[in-house]
Order: sequence, then C-alpha cells, then structure tokens
Amino acid sequence: MSGLWPLTVRELKKWVRNPTFFFTGLIQPIFWIALFGSAFDITKFLSGPSGSAAASFLLDGAPNYITYIVGGVLTTMGLFTAMFAGTQIIFDRRLGPMGRFLSSPIRRSSIVFSKIISSVIRILPQVVILVVAAYLIPNGLKFVHGFTIVDVLVMATAIILIAFIFSSIFSVIATRMTNMQSIFGIVNLVNLPLMFVSYAMFSKAMMADWLGNIAQYNPVSWSAEAIRTVIINGSLTSSQWVQEGRWLGALAALAAGLLLLTYYLVEKEIRD
Amino acid sequence: MMDGTIIETKNLTKVYNGNIKAVSDLNISIREGEIYGLAGPNGAGKTTTINMLITRIAPTGGSATVGGFDIVRDSLAVRRLIGVVPQDFTADEDLTGRENIMMVSQFYDVPKAKAKENIGRLLKLVELEDAADRLVRTYSGGMRKRLELIIGLVHEPRILFLDEPTLGLDIQTRTQMWNYVREIQQKLNVTIILTSHYLEEIDALAGKVSIIDHGKVLITGSPSELKASLKGDIITMTLTDQKSADLMKTVPGVIEVVDAGPNTVKIKVDNADEALPRVINFISQHELSTIKLTVQKPSLDEVFLEYTGRSIRDEEGGMDRMKTAMNLRRARQ
Ligand SMILES: Nc1ncnc2c1ncn2[C@@H]1O[C@H](COP(=O)(O)OP(=O)(O)O)[C@@H](O)[C@H]1O
Ligand SMILES: [Mg+2]
Repeated sequence: MSGLWPLTVRELKKWVRNPTFFFTGLIQPIFWIALFGSAFDITKFLSGPSGSAAASFLLDGAPNYITYIVGGVLTTMGLFTAMFAGTQIIFDRRLGPMGRFLSSPIRRSSIVFSKIISSVIRILPQVVILVVAAYLIPNGLKFVHGFTIVDVLVMATAIILIAFIFSSIFSVIATRMTNMQSIFGIVNLVNLPLMFVSYAMFSKAMMADWLGNIAQYNPVSWSAEAIRTVIINGSLTSSQWVQEGRWLGALAALAAGLLLLTYYLVEKEIRD
Repeated sequence: MMDGTIIETKNLTKVYNGNIKAVSDLNISIREGEIYGLAGPNGAGKTTTINMLITRIAPTGGSATVGGFDIVRDSLAVRRLIGVVPQDFTADEDLTGRENIMMVSQFYDVPKAKAKENIGRLLKLVELEDAADRLVRTYSGGMRKRLELIIGLVHEPRILFLDEPTLGLDIQTRTQMWNYVREIQQKLNVTIILTSHYLEEIDALAGKVSIIDHGKVLITGSPSELKASLKGDIITMTLTDQKSADLMKTVPGVIEVVDAGPNTVKIKVDNADEALPRVINFISQHELSTIKLTVQKPSLDEVFLEYTGRSIRDEEGGMDRMKTAMNLRRARQ
C-alpha cells in the first residue's frame, strides 16, 4: 500500500517523455563545466615557476582549475536540480493528481519520496556527462593518479546525498505551500549563497576568513571537498581517509536526519 | 451496518478558516446498493461533504462512518474501501489513459493480471478503448470525465463517490454519462454517492436524495416522494369541442379544473398516476374523445423552490460562470 514504486515510475516517465526537459538537463552540465571552468579560473593570472607553485597551493595541488572545481560544479548542479523537486508537488496540487493521491490508501510520504528519488535519479546521467565533458575540454580534468572505482563511488555517494538533502528540504517546504511564486522566491534567495558560501568554486585559502569559516558548515562544501580529495590525490593517506570519512559521514548523517524529518512532517500533513 | 446502512453522518460539520461554515450538522444515512444524491446549488457544501467522507479533509465537528469505519480514526480503512471521482480532473496529462488507471490500481495493490482485466472491461464500458493509449492531454472534456469515472472503479470499490460527474459537459454527453452510471451501479453492484447541481440529473439517477443548501439538509426522500409531496400534478386535455371540455369540470376526485384555451382544460390532481385512470374512465363513461393529453409532474426544481423560496436556476449561472469559478479556484490555491 505504499505507492512509492508507481509514483516514482510516473515521475521518470514524465522526465524521459519531455524532450526539452530531458535534453536541457543533459546539455546543462556541458555549459556549466565550460563556463565555471573558465570564468573563475584565477590561476591564469599566475605565470612562471613561482606562479605555478602559487597556483598549485591555491588549488590544493590540483594540476589545473577544472580538476579543482569539478567536484564543486557536480555538487552545485546537484543542488540546483534538487531545489526544483518541490515545484513538482505544487504542480500536482494545481493540476489535480494530488487530489487522487490524497484519497488513495497510499502513504503520504511516498508522494514526496517519489519526487526526491526521481530527482536523485535525474541527476546521475548529468554527473556522467559533466565528468566526460570536463575530461574532453582543452586543459580539462586530469586524473593525475588514475581514475579508479573509488573516485566513482565517492562522486556518486556525495552527489546522491546532496541531491537527497536539498530535494527533501524543498519538497517539505512545498507540502506546506500553495503558491509557486513563493517557492521560486525561496530557491532564488538561497541558491547563490549556498553555492558561493562553500568550497565549491574556491578553496578556503582564497576566501575571506569569516566566509571560509561559515562555508565549512555548508553541506555543499562537504560534498565538493569529498569529491575533490579523491580526484586530486588518487590514493589517500590514512589521515586523508579520516577527513574523507568525516565529509561523507556528515552528508550521510544530515541525509538520514532529513529522511526521518521528511517522513514525520509529510505523514502528518500535505496541504490539499 | 446491521440494517444495511453503509454510510452514516452525525452532525457532520466543516468550518473553513474559523468562519466559513461550509457544512453544518449534516445527518444523512445511506443504504448499501443505492444511488444517493446530494443536490444543491454551487457553494451548498456538497464537495466539502464528499471530501470529508473520502477522508481528504478532516471535519471540524460531528462524526461519520463509511463502511463501518470512522472517517477520522480509520481513515486508511475508509480509503481502501471507496472509489472516488472528484469534481476536478485528477489524471496526469503527461501519461496515457491506460497508464493513469494502471498507476491507481497499483495504489490499491490490485494484482497486475486482475488490473489488466478490470481496465480492459472498464475502458470498454465507457468506450475509451481506442483512446486508451493516447496521452490524456489530447482528450476532450467528455473523455476526461469518462476516464475519471473508471479510474475510481479500477480496484472494484464497494462505494463510489461521484462529485459533479457531468459538470461542464454538453447535454448529449451528460445523458451518455448517466447511462454509464446506471450501468455501473447495476453491473458492479456498488453504492454510489452522487452530487450535482443539476436537479434533473439527481432525479434521473438517484433512488434517494438530500437537498442541501448553505451546508444544511433541507429535505431527504426519494425524488418521486419529494415531488409528490408538492401535491400538484397537472393533466392538460384538449377535447373535440367546448361542450366536452365543460363537462370535464365535473370529473370527481381532483383538486380543480380550469379552462386553458379552446376546448382545453387543465386538471390539477394530487398524483397523476392515480388520477389518470379515473379521468379516463370518466371520459369513456361520457363517450367523450380527446385530441391531446399531457401529464406534467413537478420537477425537483419546484421542490427546491418550495423549500428555499428561490429557484436553483438563479444560482446556477451559465456554464461560463461555472468555468470561471473553477479556474478561480485553481488560481486561488
Ligand atoms: N478550501 C476552502 N477554503 C475556504 N472556503 C472553502 C473552501 N472550499 C470550499 N469553501 C467554501 O465552502 C462553501 C461550500 O463549498 P463546496 O463544498 O465546494 O460547495 P459545492 O460543492 O456544493 O459547490 C462555499 O462557500 C465555498 O466557498
Ligand atoms: Mg462542488
């Protein structure tokens, strides 16, 4: 009686069938990596042997800026896609399907979890495309220490958790709201701060102290750093593994907390 | 439930936002197997009543049981038992008709083979087989209403709620819809709770009706009882000549006979079904012959007028106003 499966299948069918939605979703990662990779690349001002030493310091040892930010761009893309999970809930209420769901013997939470799961799934092909695009562009992503299954697992785990975290937050907000404009307003209010008050685009060394300090509490930083660490270093030292475990652990703990909170709040009420 | 009652409300009340009393102290009792109508103008509280019974919204006062289950405490059990065809469309426009029904069948854990069988039968019943694999976006209003009707039936519910099943449909499509509803009740043996602001629809379909206005039940009974309670069927007769017409004024056992044009009289009776044989006997006894005879019974519209002092037509407005109201409802949310 849960309804989770048929509702998730419905979301994915709608996604695959909507060509605009589908293709823009696939082209978006290419744009992102091309734009972010060149727009924020401050290392281009550094030249000569001392310049490349400074660049290497700013980029935590990454061979170039694209390699440094790919984790940040992946995370930000996950964040932006996930924030729109809530709008689908408002559409369902406006266009009628919600009325059907609410009078069926399904769990209220499965209505919301179907949105969350499908938005997580929608992000995965974007991740693949973005990594491939980053690898193919000139002076792009370099796996200095090889590309291993560990890199893949860390990337997938971090992005899935980030997508889960933000789509559940925005879905719960949407269950309490009836107005599309309000949810867009909230998305617009928080998207850029979440992106820039984090280590997604710049390392802590490049930030004002206060900004760097706040950024360490942003889950976007945790995901960006988790991916970055494995990409730059390849095989990690034991102290790097501890740090890696902290980032992924924090993401997992936050996701688990939000899972319970979402379940509790949504089972209690979805506005009709 | 012992006496075959399947739905019962006790002082069921819904107050929106602390001041809009949409339904107040509603008491109705519905027997298993009947088609029960809730009739009343727009804003009477029909949808609010249905929404409480289907557990979509919680009452603010009173209580109700559906199939023996309390609508608040056992809401999940109620939802399993009922089928719902809400006033507004619920199908997903980006899926096909068949996919929509299939999805809903999964909400009720109908086994796949069984669901396929039911869906085939239901699509056939409402003549949607040919359109079943098209996206719902391409359906006409009438097709969408028919689809909604069978989506509510795919899990073979014992009780079906139909909220304004013909709202926005043209006359032909409406009568077609009535036939589907009758067929469903006979073939599938479900109890149907039907709301409508078209009183002739309730008259055509319901075995029992409650007329509601401003959230209150004005009167309950079978449509024929309600109409009979008005006492005033009219038999209009045109005879061959004025002498015969005048003679008709002496027919016994009627309320009154008045002239109504050349060679024509209007006879007012309590109940035309019983009076007509007497009138016909009178005619043959006196060897008169009639050219034309019509019987006019009061409609539920007159019943509504009798109990509210105003006509339901005044409230109804045109179809355009209805549509505007529906759009406004959407926009408000
Ligand atoms: N969600 C709501 N919030 C506030 N008032 C409502 C809401 N839904 C309905 N109403 C009001 O309750 C009354 C009854 O409405 P409704 O049950 O939809 O009537 P009907 O279905 O008979 O047309 C109306 O006055 C309507 O404006
Ligand atoms: Mg209504």
